[in-house]
Amino acid sequence: MKNIMNNFEYFAPGSLEEALKLLSQYGEDECKIIAGGQSLIILLKQGLITPQYVIDIKGLSELDSISGNEKEGLKIGALTTHRAIEKSPLMQNAFCILAEMEQNVSSVETRNWGTIGGNIAHGDPSGDPAPVMLVLNAKYKLAGAKGERLVEAEDFTSGYFETDIGHDELLTEIQIPAPPPRTGAKFTKFSQLQGDYAIASAAVSMTLDADKKTCADIRIAMGSVAPAPMRAKKAEYLLRGKVITDDLLVEAGRMASEEASPTSDAEISEQYKRELVGTLVTRVGKEAFERAAMA
Amino acid sequence: MKEYSIIGKPTRNVDGVAKVTGEAVYAFDMTLPNMLYGKLLRSPHPHAKIISIDTSEAEKLSGVKAIITGKDTPGGKWGLWRRFPELCDQTALAMDKVRFIGEPVAAVAAVTEEIAHEALDLIAVEYEPLPAVFEPMEAIKDDAPLVHDDFENNINTTRHIEWGNVDEAFKNADYVREDRFSLSSQHHAPMEVHNALASYDKGSKRLTVWASTQSPYFLQLGLADALKMREGDIRVIKPHVGGGYGGKNSTMPDSVNAALLSMKTGRPVKIVFNREEEFTTTEHRTAMDIAIKIGLKKDGTLVAKEVKLITDGGAYTGLGATTLYLAGTFVTFPYKTPNYRYDGVRTYTNKMWSSSMRGFGSVPAVYAAEIQLDRAANDLGIDPLEIRRINAMTPGYSASGEYTVESCGILECIDKMGKRVKEKWNDLGEDEGIGFASFAYMSGGIFNWIDTPYAFSGAMVKVNIDGTVELFTQASDIGQGHNTVSVMICAEELGIGMEDIRLHPADTATTLADLGAWGSRETLMNGNAVRAAAAEIKKMLVAVARMKLGENIVYDLVAKNKRIYLELRPERGFSYYELVKDAIKQNDGEPLIGIGHYTPHNKGMISPAYGMGIQAVRAKVDRETGLIEMKDVLVVHDCGQPINPPAVRGQVEGSTQMGLGYGLCENMPTDNGLILNPSFVDYKLIRSRDMPTIELMEVPTYEPEGPFGAKEAAEATTSPGAPALANAVYHAVGAEFDSNVLKPEKVLNAIRAKEQKGKA
Ligand SMILES: Cc1cc2nc3c(=O)[nH]c(=O)nc-3n(C[C@H](O)[C@H](O)[C@H](O)COP(=O)(O)OP(=O)(O)OC[C@H]3O[C@@H](n4cnc5c(N)ncnc54)[C@H](O)[C@@H]3O)c2cc1C
Repeated sequence: MKNIMNNFEYFAPGSLEEALKLLSQYGEDECKIIAGGQSLIILLKQGLITPQYVIDIKGLSELDSISGNEKEGLKIGALTTHRAIEKSPLMQNAFCILAEMEQNVSSVETRNWGTIGGNIAHGDPSGDPAPVMLVLNAKYKLAGAKGERLVEAEDFTSGYFETDIGHDELLTEIQIPAPPPRTGAKFTKFSQLQGDYAIASAAVSMTLDADKKTCADIRIAMGSVAPAPMRAKKAEYLLRGKVITDDLLVEAGRMASEEASPTSDAEISEQYKRELVGTLVTRVGKEAFERAAMA
Repeated sequence: MKEYSIIGKPTRNVDGVAKVTGEAVYAFDMTLPNMLYGKLLRSPHPHAKIISIDTSEAEKLSGVKAIITGKDTPGGKWGLWRRFPELCDQTALAMDKVRFIGEPVAAVAAVTEEIAHEALDLIAVEYEPLPAVFEPMEAIKDDAPLVHDDFENNINTTRHIEWGNVDEAFKNADYVREDRFSLSSQHHAPMEVHNALASYDKGSKRLTVWASTQSPYFLQLGLADALKMREGDIRVIKPHVGGGYGGKNSTMPDSVNAALLSMKTGRPVKIVFNREEEFTTTEHRTAMDIAIKIGLKKDGTLVAKEVKLITDGGAYTGLGATTLYLAGTFVTFPYKTPNYRYDGVRTYTNKMWSSSMRGFGSVPAVYAAEIQLDRAANDLGIDPLEIRRINAMTPGYSASGEYTVESCGILECIDKMGKRVKEKWNDLGEDEGIGFASFAYMSGGIFNWIDTPYAFSGAMVKVNIDGTVELFTQASDIGQGHNTVSVMICAEELGIGMEDIRLHPADTATTLADLGAWGSRETLMNGNAVRAAAAEIKKMLVAVARMKLGENIVYDLVAKNKRIYLELRPERGFSYYELVKDAIKQNDGEPLIGIGHYTPHNKGMISPAYGMGIQAVRAKVDRETGLIEMKDVLVVHDCGQPINPPAVRGQVEGSTQMGLGYGLCENMPTDNGLILNPSFVDYKLIRSRDMPTIELMEVPTYEPEGPFGAKEAAEATTSPGAPALANAVYHAVGAEFDSNVLKPEKVLNAIRAKEQKGKA
């Protein structure tokens, strides 16, 4: 590792418009956006990327905001820090899953700098926010010189650090719809030490029928067990329309673990991760169910 | 026990304010006018012949001031085992071949760090890769490639220890068991990376080096050997140090190459390792395989122990040879072992070398011994605390002359632990367990491998006319708080205040030699030297006071509260300040100077004294994921007389964190000699969020050999965390381990293996 950054030209646009203009000018070249820098600076120091231009968007204060409520849904600006989400009074009831997730993203220092937009745009398969966005049915707003577009969270990440952002686009906002009544959501990540990157993670959002026993709708997402955060659709299918029982949740976990496609690394086997994520889905499914019944 | 004025009282660190406000200067912070930045070009191969090195392109780069390769160095070899010249195997830069990934082959000095870096990319090295060997058991095979040509079977050094009649004792034992363990490496991960600033004066031909070191004296010797200079022409100054933990005893390529580049350019040169270099090219804890056999009587009495052990030495010796010795000693502690045999082998392999780390030798050895003891207790139906109690050493215990343990509070520690556990942990839940492990460690080593002709520690006290004191010692405060301890000892002996004393620490030119901060030697060894120096001054002042009082010679005088007075009639005495003035005037204006030394005598070859105790860990295991939750830790500790209790507590907490890290998550996986996790994201240290609470209980004893009864404190506590944790998991879910680093997958597999065994 070099631990020394190459030189680059640095821009600090004061508005979104200015930023997009710079992007359309340099985006095709060796150009990188920097937000909180928590992921980017490591890559720069390791010499894994050597951009000629770096555009610092930290000054775009219009992208640093959280608004909305449980009836209308949430809008979170891309520059909102992890810490701001964790501490936001808007993260109540159905949205408390966001604050819970954030509490365990790395350390306070990283959360003070790192932004939700940077995290999602980074496309790290072991990132924590993405699986939560998947089960909350979030959409990502992308802005470019040609205008804006909305992308489903589910379609956004296509592989290891690969996303749907064009080289002249910025992620500007995350939109989370209002949850249907009787919905409960829960996320957990598994790591040996708190705040570490996930060995595996799971998120479940469950909506119950009026009987508060039958699963009307469900979304299950898994992180760190595939090149991109993924839904466990077979497990969802198994649960949808059924009266939820512990056995059924165990079966759903087993199915989810079959759907996952983790890979072994230097220290952890594929088999362990696969089994683990099933356990997590079962556990989180149970908590989501209990939350939905209380909602 | 005697009532002290300062010793044993919670005392603020003398350098605490400077450290907290950021004013304390570390070598890392230092620059000098005209300073150049040095960088090292490192080998990408674990084992390769160097065919050629072409530096011509790099030399053309503007801003590059000097480039050196092996042939430009004086070729001096060095090491810490100076009594055995063949073990002095380090060189500044690889001469003919490289022996591990990261071994330096060239050094550059340039006007900026960036230019030095760029220059490295322009140096062309042609290598001829050689077959490499990475595992100790492979290394000793006859057909293994040789790391050093003159070391057959890659055997770096061996150690045999034996007493009693082991074979006979095993024959007569009621119960014998043998276990094998494989213990991994661990990195010191100090906050301050290795770095050194060297300044050579071409006129006087003298060198000054400021470095992040645990032992200015060792560095002075290492530099002298490496540069083929006289020790006295080298001055080493140790500023504040941001942690050593055993990783900064050896002279490393940072200081030697900074010196060589400074000699070549006539300008100061600084070399700072980056974090990846710190992880991959500085020393780490010695990994080892241990076969351990014990024989017991039915009632749990230990009658025999046999240990065979092979360590993964890496490419050079460092303090790894000492590790081999200490493992063979501390694997017996703190238990009476009537018959014992040990054979240890240290191998060379093509990896960065292993060396000393907090509790060195003891940490892996104690892991094996303490886990095995629990298994034996389980088989014999004896309570884990009881088996430790039955075998505990008692004061004055001597292991066949190998070592003698004077002060020894282990029994009281075990009893106190038993009481506290019953009281505090009577609510054990499902899948929760309690694990115990005893621990003990030395108060400095005796076997003089460094081959110093000096006393092991020295101190000098100079008293000014106004009574203020200048205390000169070479002892190293590397964060453990020894600066404070030495000032406390000096103040107590003279009966004055800490504010009366200015400390001048760790400068080889102005202080008397001290071997440095390793093996918990400073409190006892340097403490004795400081106390002796202060006692000389006290003697002079007492003589003056006695004369002024004109009292009977048998009446005792004491120095306390800035006065010297008759012990039985405290009102009869004089102010310390007044006596200092009188003493200087009476002595024709000669200043008061006291000199003290300490070298252990008649204490065997291991250590003059041993600290010890017992630790308990309470943990809960998730049977489905294998995750261990560490809930609470209890430590009962005998460190003799604690000098500064908050410092002891701080060290206990830090070493417990390190010990639990060794047990739970810290490791250094390699692939063909390449360390795979050289960053703080991938190297897993336990952070505060994951630390269990620690309750510390002291069992004070009085160590006759130590200053004011003090001895080793809280290095031994690095050892029990890992085995106590493993024992807790064993008692919680029955899972057994033959290695440390209990990552969830390993734990889950062990739980499954146990369940299978249960079914079969
Ligand atoms: C020690 C450490 C531990 C960590 N642990 C975790 C963890 O446990 N869980 C977890 O989820 N994350 C973790 N992270 C990662 C971190 O949370 C995020 O990746 C980080 O917050 C990214 O945000 P940033 O603002 O710092 O992005 P940057 O580092 O500035 O940028 C990251 C990437 O996104 C691009 N980018 C940034 N903003 C935008 C935008 N608005 N539009 C388009 N592209 C953009 C950049 O060009 C870059 O490629 C950890 C990071 C560190 C350093």
